[in-house]
Amino acid sequence: MLTELDVKRGDRVGVFLDSSLETAIAVYGIMSAGAVFVPLDSNAPPARIAYVINDCGIRHIISGKKQSRSLKKVLQENISLEVVIGIDEKLPVKTVSWEEIAQISPSQTVSVRMLEDDLAYIMYTSGTTGTPKGIMHSHRSGLAYAKLSMDLYDVRPTDILANHSPLHFDISTMGYFTMPLAGGTTVLIPESHKLIPASLSQLMEKERITIWYSVPLALIQLLQRGALEGRKLDSLRWVLFGGEPFPAKHLRSLMKLWDKAVFSNVYGPAEVNQCTYFHLSELPEKDNAIPLGYVWNNTEVLIIDNNDLEVGDGDTGELLVRTATMMKGYWGKSELTQKAFFRREKFPNAAEIFYRTGDLVWRKSDAQLMFAGRKDRQIKIRGYRIELDEIESVLISHPYILETAVYNIKNEEDQAVEAIVVLSDSGRETEENIKEFLAARLPAYALPRRVYFSDKIPRTPAGKIDYKELKN
Amino acid sequence: MDSNQVIIIKYIQDNLLTGKGEIELTPEDDLLGSGLLDSMGVMRLVGFVEETFHIKIPPEDIVIENFMDVKAITNYVECQHVDNEPSPQ
Repeated sequence: MLTELDVKRGDRVGVFLDSSLETAIAVYGIMSAGAVFVPLDSNAPPARIAYVINDCGIRHIISGKKQSRSLKKVLQENISLEVVIGIDEKLPVKTVSWEEIAQISPSQTVSVRMLEDDLAYIMYTSGTTGTPKGIMHSHRSGLAYAKLSMDLYDVRPTDILANHSPLHFDISTMGYFTMPLAGGTTVLIPESHKLIPASLSQLMEKERITIWYSVPLALIQLLQRGALEGRKLDSLRWVLFGGEPFPAKHLRSLMKLWDKAVFSNVYGPAEVNQCTYFHLSELPEKDNAIPLGYVWNNTEVLIIDNNDLEVGDGDTGELLVRTATMMKGYWGKSELTQKAFFRREKFPNAAEIFYRTGDLVWRKSDAQLMFAGRKDRQIKIRGYRIELDEIESVLISHPYILETAVYNIKNEEDQAVEAIVVLSDSGRETEENIKEFLAARLPAYALPRRVYFSDKIPRTPAGKIDYKELKN
Repeated sequence: MDSNQVIIIKYIQDNLLTGKGEIELTPEDDLLGSGLLDSMGVMRLVGFVEETFHIKIPPEDIVIENFMDVKAITNYVECQHVDNEPSPQ
């Protein structure tokens, strides 16, 4: 159907859907036509969705009835969309309904020549400067991820994965690529269940989920509101988490409840999908950070200083990754792409290409990598170097603090650190008390100027803390 | 539409639908599957129902069946009130 609608090999097709079977049909239909699927976040502001559509030249979008209201707002923006599949209403562009698609017989499908090196999907992520960057992945990088993750987690046809992340976040690649490769099953968690943890845990029990993979926040919500005590979830083999550090205290509680599963940390920027793993063999110690872990197969890393020279074992440096699962580059942004890569000219004309993660790490004697913060989460105030993440980990160790975010505010004259905290239901605390708590544990220059209370921390569509919004 | 439903609909429209434009909510509109409420909105709604109808909702009752639309919420509330009515002397 897509080729009939003039989708050519290499064309970018938007997927404007939430968790539904149609999403899987869209992903595979687009790739079968030799085209490139571009997930669009229906909860994002219309202007941002329009930016993505224009940036990579999307002419066709696959959507559904539930997204109709949001899509109409996007159509009011200045975009050159030609076709919308999946909405059976009058729109300013050509529409094709799901019913019409269902009428097509499989024998009518056209086979398209494609190479593993061809683009398969583009995932947009927010750049630190504000405009989103389109991370281009090929069939090769997607398939490499599927194979590596299938092998590492020993995924079998009997496995059943719960997919919590939206398509525009690369955690979803396990559900959409790895499971089909292994012959296993992916359960797409409905949006309603993502909002009601007690129903989500019920679904996990009913479906006998064997693999869970999500950001830590989803697991913390299950822990706090999922009524887990009443659920039989012994079918869980793996609990994979990534995208953000998982506070040890919540992780310990969950590991005690689900003691038959192996909890494992997944690390990897979206530009490389995944590059390390760490299986927890024992409960994490109170305030210890969980290691990024070991580098997985078909991947090598470099840890370098500000002069692009390798640092010694135990020293902190920026992590560079060379891997089969790496992106080809950022769509339409040659300069940014060039800056993001480091070329090692081992042999002339056969440079090895590494991706600069912007993450600081150090290597332990047993080759385990340890996270030392983001390059941009390390600031200097009055000459002192401050790790904003360190202040966060001290705050989270407070018995009444559930979640926290620490950020720096900069203006022409000076720079200051502020914190925002979410207290647990039964917690009562004052700003003064929290500052005293911090003063007892941190040097004076690292103390936040203000501590604000809130009932939630602003997060990006991917579920990570939105530091940009906090600074505004 | 009974009076309890009106109260809940007004709360949702006035407080939880910012940024979604003018929406005329009915008791049967899907609150959870259609992107009308977010995670914070659900928690605030639960809090509002507890305060307004003087009930404490245990975590295992905060399930889709009881919160999927305004009608389901009022059904749940009415069941709670019936359970708590003192038996006739």
